[in-house]
Parts: sequence; structure tokens; C-alpha cells
Amino acid sequence: MTQAEAKSTESAGAFEPRIVAFVCNWCTYAGADLTGTSRLQYAANVRIIKLPCTGRIDPLFILKAFEGGADAVLVSGCHPGDCHYTSGNYHARRRWMLLRNLLDFTGIDSRRLFFSWVSAAEGQKFADLINDITGKVREAGPFDPTNPARRQPWT
Amino acid sequence: MDVDRLRQDAAALLADGRARMVIGFRDRAGDRVPAFITDAEQAGELVYDEACRQNLAAYLKKAELARFRPVAIVARPAVMRSLVLLAAEAQVADADVLVLGVSDDDEYHGILDLAATAALLNEKYAEMPHDPDLVKRIEEISAMTPEERSTFWTEQFARCTRCYACRAACPMCYCTQCIVEKNVPQWISTAAAGHGNYAWNIIRAFHLAGRCTECGACEAACPQGIPLMLLNVVLARDVEEEFGIKVGYDAEAEPVIGSWSPDDGEDFIR
Repeated sequence: MTQAEAKSTESAGAFEPRIVAFVCNWCTYAGADLTGTSRLQYAANVRIIKLPCTGRIDPLFILKAFEGGADAVLVSGCHPGDCHYTSGNYHARRRWMLLRNLLDFTGIDSRRLFFSWVSAAEGQKFADLINDITGKVREAGPFDPTNPARRQPWT
Repeated sequence: MDVDRLRQDAAALLADGRARMVIGFRDRAGDRVPAFITDAEQAGELVYDEACRQNLAAYLKKAELARFRPVAIVARPAVMRSLVLLAAEAQVADADVLVLGVSDDDEYHGILDLAATAALLNEKYAEMPHDPDLVKRIEEISAMTPEERSTFWTEQFARCTRCYACRAACPMCYCTQCIVEKNVPQWISTAAAGHGNYAWNIIRAFHLAGRCTECGACEAACPQGIPLMLLNVVLARDVEEEFGIKVGYDAEAEPVIGSWSPDDGEDFIR
């Protein structure tokens, strides 16, 4: 789907998931770049935020994304062993494991939190990944606006 | 428990200068409140029973008490684990702290240094199970639908007044500047409502991932009765099951978050 198409369906009132992707500079961002230069089409529902390394991704980033209106969050970086900084992705993996279960336990269920390894050579994998999770989030529906993680209007 | 031996040991430590302060419990109109004893003659004030649930290790890092080191602390096993963990995080030197060890079932372990405390923990308290009531409650909540869980926690967090008593009660919350007080940029809304309460409670629990010894002091300190221990035990259980680590037994251990293993599970990563 192109961005123009995405916009037209959105204005027609159909639910279009908003997915925030935190990706690392060295692997997944380059992979996403390759998707583009390879002219591969993928769902326009993802907003990419580039960081130096997945090890830089604080749980607060993920909470902030949900707070501000994301329907799902994707975190993606280098495959194990490929980290530009040697071990950032291993550190991140531990954190995600714990955070994912904690968020699931408190009401941000794991249908809205995705993790992946996408290397700079995996343009096709990135396109497939985004298409797949967009489909999954579309199925799960919008993130409940009354969820405690979501920014509430003042009452 | 033999409170007399506890009093004698406390008095002896203060009298011969091995400790400049003993932190224990005293009675105040039926309540158990912390006692900060600097004079051997006051050691008779000390009491100990099952109502003494506060984690006194939380005082160790208070700047006001720094000049009273070495400090002797009355500690049950969960508190001993906090102290070993503080040593592992390089927050306390071996020479700065002594333990007056008490068990959860009325046994007195005497005066211990940190090495002896770790040895005792490994010998006698290597298996400290999670509170079975909490585990049962966690299973119940995990079995709910995501919507029900979200409703449950909305109700719990809505009561939070952001007094930060949970933080003050915890020996591991020793940061001099807490993330919640950082306001440029402001990561966590400080308004006592909605998403700020959610973010605060999640981040508080997460910052204690792999550092919580399940002493229960945070939940006991909460004036609003928010079941904080549910969050702590969910994390502690994951740390144990996923990484095979029980914290607070080894003063040389690397922090759980901050270290890694190539064997960490990743079945949730695609």
C-alpha cells in the first residue's frame, strides 16, 4: 500500500494501525533502507525511529509510544553476534524479555509488542515483517483509549 | 526469638566501637518503628517480632547516616539479600556494615559481616520461595483477558497519589536523582493520574528487575494498598526462570540487567 492509499483508507474511517518502530542504525534501519531501494512495497503504517543501537532503547520509549497513541510497537536490531557495539542487542534482549511479560501482565498485551532481528541485507524480511504485523494489529483492533498506559484527557 | 541476645550484641558492638550505630526496631505505642541507636545503654529498647517488616537496609544509603558508619542492621533473610545486593552493586563497602541476623521463624543468627551473611544465606536460605498467595494471584490475573487485566490495573493505579513511599521504603531505590523527577525532558508525568501513574509504577518495578529481594517493604509502605508485589514477583519469577538467577546471594555477582548470556531465550523475537 502506498502512503496515498493509506491516507485515503484512513479518511474513509477504516482502522489503520499506527505502529512505532524503534530500530538500530546499523542493521534494521539499513535493512529498511534496502527495502526502499529495492522498490519493495510495504504497509505505510509504520513510523520508524532510528537509534544508534537496540541497547539504547529504554522501556520509557516504549511506554511513551503507547502513551502518545501507538497501536503497537516494534523493536528491531541486529541479529545476535552482529551488533555494531558487540553486545548492545544482547543487553536489549534481556530487557525485552522482562518488559514484554511485565507489560502483558499489566494490560499491554503481547499482540501489540513485536521484536525482531533484521540485518542490513534483509530488505525482503523487513517488508514481510511490517506487512505481517500490520495485519496482526489490524486484527487486534485499535489500542483501547481507556488503557491506563494511554494519555488521558483531563477530567 | 531471643531478643535479649540481640540487645546484648547491639550493646557490645556499640560499646567496643565495632559499630557506631545500630538500626533495629523499637516499640512505639504498639507499632514497630525503626530505632537508631548510638549509645550502648539504649540497646534495651530493641524489640523484634513478626510485625517488624520494614527493610532497614533502606537507611544505609541515606546521606544523614553516612557519618555513623560502620552501621549494624537488624536483618531478616530478605533484608540480608538486599545488603548483599547493595555490596554487589558497589554501594556499600564490607567494612561499613554489620548484620544482626534474625530468621523468619524466630531464630537469632548473631553478628555477621557481609561475607558471613552471604554464606548464611547460601547455606540456610538458598531456597526462598515466592509468596504462594502472590503466585496464586498472579496466575489468576494472567488468566484474565488483556481487557480485564487492563481494567484491573487501571483501578489499582488510579489510587496512586505519587507519594513515592514505595521508593523511600526500598533499599535498592538509592538513585540521588530519580527518573520521575527528571523534567527536561519529562519522561513520566508527575500528575497523580492516568498514564503518569501507569508509567511510574511500571518503571519503578522495571528498575528493580533482577534487584528485588521480595522483602515486601514497598507494598507495606503504600498508603493506598496498591499490590506492588505482584509486579515485583512477576519480574523476579522471570529472572529466575529465564536467566536462572536468584539475586542477593553473591556479593560478586554481575547485575542481571547490565549483563547478558548468549543463551538467553529469544523465542519471542522473529
